[in-house]
Amino acid sequence: MSEYILEMRNISKSFAGVHALKDVTIRCRPGQVYGLVGENGAGKSTLMKILAGAYLADAGEIIYKGERREQMSAGEIIDSGISIIYQELALVPQLSVAENIFLGREPQRALGILDLKSLHERAAKLTERLGISMDTRTPVSELTVAQRQLVEIAKALSQNADLIVMDEPSAILAGSELDQLFRIIESLVEHGVTIIYISHRLDEVFRIADEVTVLKDGELVDTRPIEQLDRPMLVELMVGRPLDEIFPQTEHEQGDLVLIAENISTDTILENASLELYAGEILGIAGMVGSGRTELARALFGADPLTSGTISLAGAKGDSWNNPAQAIESGLALVPEDRKSHGLFTSLSVRVNLTLPILSRLTRFGILQSQAEDEIVEEAKDRLSIVMASADQEAQYLSGGNQQKVVLAKWLETNPAVVILDEPTRGVDVGAKFEIYKLMRQLNDRGIAIVMISSELPEVIGMSDRILVMNDGRIVGEVPQVEATEAGIIELATMADAVANAS
Amino acid sequence: MRKFIADYGVYLALLALLIAATVLTPKLYDVNTIAVVMRQASQLGIVAIGQTMILLVAGLDLSIGGIFLMTSIVVADVTNGRDEMVIPAILIALALGALVGLGNGVLVTKRRVPPFVATLGMLVLVKGATQAYTRGVPGGFVPEVLGLVNQSWFVLSIPLALWLGLNAFFIFVLRRTSYGRKVYAVGSNSEAARLSGISVDAIRISVYVLGSCLAVVSGVVLTGYVGYVDRFIGTGLELDSIAAAIVGGTAFVGGRGGLLGTIAGVLMIQILSTMAILMGLDIQVQFIIKGLVILGAVTLYSLASIEE
Repeated sequence: MSEYILEMRNISKSFAGVHALKDVTIRCRPGQVYGLVGENGAGKSTLMKILAGAYLADAGEIIYKGERREQMSAGEIIDSGISIIYQELALVPQLSVAENIFLGREPQRALGILDLKSLHERAAKLTERLGISMDTRTPVSELTVAQRQLVEIAKALSQNADLIVMDEPSAILAGSELDQLFRIIESLVEHGVTIIYISHRLDEVFRIADEVTVLKDGELVDTRPIEQLDRPMLVELMVGRPLDEIFPQTEHEQGDLVLIAENISTDTILENASLELYAGEILGIAGMVGSGRTELARALFGADPLTSGTISLAGAKGDSWNNPAQAIESGLALVPEDRKSHGLFTSLSVRVNLTLPILSRLTRFGILQSQAEDEIVEEAKDRLSIVMASADQEAQYLSGGNQQKVVLAKWLETNPAVVILDEPTRGVDVGAKFEIYKLMRQLNDRGIAIVMISSELPEVIGMSDRILVMNDGRIVGEVPQVEATEAGIIELATMADAVANAS
Repeated sequence: MRKFIADYGVYLALLALLIAATVLTPKLYDVNTIAVVMRQASQLGIVAIGQTMILLVAGLDLSIGGIFLMTSIVVADVTNGRDEMVIPAILIALALGALVGLGNGVLVTKRRVPPFVATLGMLVLVKGATQAYTRGVPGGFVPEVLGLVNQSWFVLSIPLALWLGLNAFFIFVLRRTSYGRKVYAVGSNSEAARLSGISVDAIRISVYVLGSCLAVVSGVVLTGYVGYVDRFIGTGLELDSIAAAIVGGTAFVGGRGGLLGTIAGVLMIQILSTMAILMGLDIQVQFIIKGLVILGAVTLYSLASIEE
């Protein structure tokens, strides 16, 4: 037997003539953790889907446990010891932990009657092996996202997996949950299991991986032992050019007051929030998920009706609004957190997505002026370097970064005075992130005020002029950029009595 | 491949059907047969325009059968056979139809009743109301002038001209006006549409009203065909119009599809029925064939929409 448990040699795959993978080779030794990194669209998922049998490679071969793998069904591949844990977990919420772990392979007595006793005993053994305490009779719907992920890992173990692929496992995990995941990975590795770990978060790759493979545009850039890499080097390999990871800064004075919100509450968790917004600044909003950040953004935009308080433009215009249409009229724009369900029209073309809020400007007697529209689309494409096959391509076929650029571009066309960005760089690769930051600075230079909500504290601290911290539906503190530290913000965002102090 | 099936699949299927007909039922190519097929297709096609637009905003209209009955009773009752009263009768029917559509739209948007339930309720309500009005015995006569819809000059006819004209108009509206864009946007993602400043409710309600008015127009044509008031007039046409749109590639979930596909869907359904009649098949067999075609089309589209 060779020293590798898995070799994927010279794998190529194209979709409709576009190369998704070109001559990619990876090799994995048993009992090691392999980081697989690259921007969105680099080919990571395609490579793993070929491994899982979801796609068939156009060229190349897979050598698994010393043998050339013939075409296999997804089920046979699982039986051969390969498990893949996808980002969107594949559990049945109504079934219990044990039932999910052994779904389709439940221990049975005669006549196909389930052997529940053995089912739960075996499930308990697995959770014990993972070092987690969990009642295997609990329905999965009652578990936290982190616990569900552990159930997926237990399921992989129950299939005697020798090779586990984890696709962005940390995207939904927080601090202590992540530590637990890493402990489990370490113990799996000690038992000889091989892990392929896909992540956007480079810190984690450095923490857990033995070797890192970088893909870019469907091609292998390099595979190196982690000791030979540092963070800037890895970013450079991923992006293909040296990238100043520091957030772009510009010099500017505080501008005029543009928007005032006083004691606003909505039917959500949001309670008595007040803020002032000045031209040309970025106001960061930090806080845990569920602290009311998104609700604040929606309230400012008129998306949720106010139950108390007022929002209005400062100065001569003095507009106020209570629905999105009026807010847009007054010069507001909202790039929502959940791009797919609130921001993008996935089944419609890029063109339609881009011009929707400015249709009245592009029509005469209700009839669209194609030439004017083409110009707008062309301009937006160039300004944000949106990569697309054509303006008539459906938005769902763009990469995450390009989808986000489309949503951003749509609002820039309305010439807003205030832009609210809710998690503007979520699910966006490093290169596109940097472009979005640059765009934000350009907007500031034009005097546009930005409200930015983000879960990534380095981003909030790096980009904002002032930071409001939210906790349990209230604004509990304001921190100027120069004084902001991650620890300080987390303390305000999690302290129970911060809420009491604020009110 | 995915896009190809979604865009042209129904035309390929139509072509295959027409080729099959040269062998199976060469009589289909008789000028008179073509004229009849086109007249009938037009009647279904007019109501399918409205149904398609309603499907585009992720809605559904089952109340059409009620509107057909109401239209034919209004026409017979108001005119009582007098040709000069046709225009006022149609205007009254349109006004009542618009009211039904408004009811559907308000229930779906403001009351958040699922379209299936709202329009099914409306179907029963409208049928009940018209029958209560006539006390179960429809009276009045259909004016002679409406018989013109049965006339063909070569293959041309008034219904066909209406169908083509309305299609041209609404294809233009959907593709080239801001209203059309908003219809697609509301159907594709209603929350994103609202956050883009579109009055989602107004668009939805307007589409239901349009759909009902087109059903009135179709109902007038149907009344002309039949020539008297029939209690069962138009039964099943709501399902045929939905089938035509779906076979033509309009998505049940909204935001995708259009009238070019629906035209082909209407022709397919009409030609299939005619071929079945020409082959002397039982009505039951016709239903089986129709059902298979609908299921086949939907299966193909869902296969095609599975990404890559």
